[in-house]
Amino acid sequence: MSEQQNYEPRVVAFLCKWCSSAGSDLAGVSRIQYPANATPITIPCTGAVSPMYILSAFNKGADGVLVSGCHIGDCHYIEGNFLARRKMHLIMELLEFIGVEPNRFRMSWVSAAEGAKFAQVITDFVDDLKPLGPQEKLKKAERA
Amino acid sequence: MINIQDIRDTARDMLAKGEVRTVIGYRRGSRGMPAEPAFITSPEQADELIWDPTCYHNLSLYLVHDQKILAHLRKASGSPIAIVAKGCDARSIVVLLQEHYFKREDVYIIGVSCEGTGVLDERKLASQLNGVQPTLAAFDGDDYVFTTAEGEKRLPAREVMADRCLECRIPFPKEHNVVFGEDKTGRQLAEPFAALTRFEAQGTGERWDIWSHHFDRCMRCFACRSVCPMCYCDECVVDSITFPVTQQTSAAEKADRVRWIERSAMRSENITYLLTRAMHLAGRCTDCGECERACPVNIPIRMLNNKMEREAREKFGYEPGASIGGSSLVASFLDNDPGDFIR
Repeated sequence: MSEQQNYEPRVVAFLCKWCSSAGSDLAGVSRIQYPANATPITIPCTGAVSPMYILSAFNKGADGVLVSGCHIGDCHYIEGNFLARRKMHLIMELLEFIGVEPNRFRMSWVSAAEGAKFAQVITDFVDDLKPLGPQEKLKKAERA
Repeated sequence: MINIQDIRDTARDMLAKGEVRTVIGYRRGSRGMPAEPAFITSPEQADELIWDPTCYHNLSLYLVHDQKILAHLRKASGSPIAIVAKGCDARSIVVLLQEHYFKREDVYIIGVSCEGTGVLDERKLASQLNGVQPTLAAFDGDDYVFTTAEGEKRLPAREVMADRCLECRIPFPKEHNVVFGEDKTGRQLAEPFAALTRFEAQGTGERWDIWSHHFDRCMRCFACRSVCPMCYCDECVVDSITFPVTQQTSAAEKADRVRWIERSAMRSENITYLLTRAMHLAGRCTDCGECERACPVNIPIRMLNNKMEREAREKFGYEPGASIGGSSLVASFLDNDPGDFIR
């Protein structure tokens, strides 16, 4: 029981440079408290996220992967997040299909003004990941 | 019913007139019943061409090979290549054309309709014949007729037909220069995606148990990649040959390299390989089933591609290989694409 309580999931968060990354910054400067489980990786646009990034994050031991970008219509590159919505839908369906828990992958729209929403997204994600335990399915086994 | 003489005459005529440089078709193979790909370059050879239930290969792969050879030799393509194409093969050619891999005038499509029968699944046949080796297979109405040492054996096509043919929605090459056989679109022998639907009815745990068993068995022979006309990238993401390790390579350089996938056959790496392949084929795979047929350990690879095909069809209204001018699945979007999963 105590082991489960101590378990802290590791989240890899791909945050778009223009919105979600600035949103996470706002959460920080506003001193909003949220779990420190997410490792942010800034990317130019959610449309630039290859499904390979997500598979690779899981492969290298992430317990959950978050992709976050600008709201639909607000993309700095006009249509990047529309393209991302399709691609991420496909990879999400594929992961579920082979039997990975649906809660391990998440996508959100967080604007630069939504620091509170960013904190909420991370809090919810970590809460959903904790009962699942460590992700072992896609993780590369340690070489002996 | 397709008369093979029609295909031979077309090939002979075109070669004699010099309209095409090669005809890619099927001929008697060297291991008994199964046909093998044939590359006919002179009119006299045209009579080697055959059409029977063992013509399951997707020959559009060789159009890709041809382009690679031409690029290597730095030669222009010259006269076109004629190719015998079933419905699924013709759709593969459409996808290649859509991606500007070659030009429409570089290829002359001799379409063959699968009519009611599709092509054979050798694994299904083996279980029906109890070890008897057939030497010849032929179409006859809705049946296949096999010649064996113990005489003729007649089987209903739907019992030994490949699953993809049972589920095929369009067994007719819409894109063609000339076409033989009747268009039997809508014959629908089995519900499309029937096997996929059955598999998906299971829970997350059961699905993982089945897939992890398959992923463990993959030995990374890359037969699925070699046989696929869509896997034409010069550098595959799983090959790390672009980063040769020499004596001068420092430890820091090695550490800095992005190794997306390792080549060793471990479960985690196999998953990454097979899922990446499925993603790269989303909206491009035309369900020719060659990957699954080529797999030496019988991994149901087709099911991964089928899953992507159904998502594309049901969620985005996208049909791979439908039109040469259309945009590709992941390079286009609709305003009303589903976004409920996004928080």
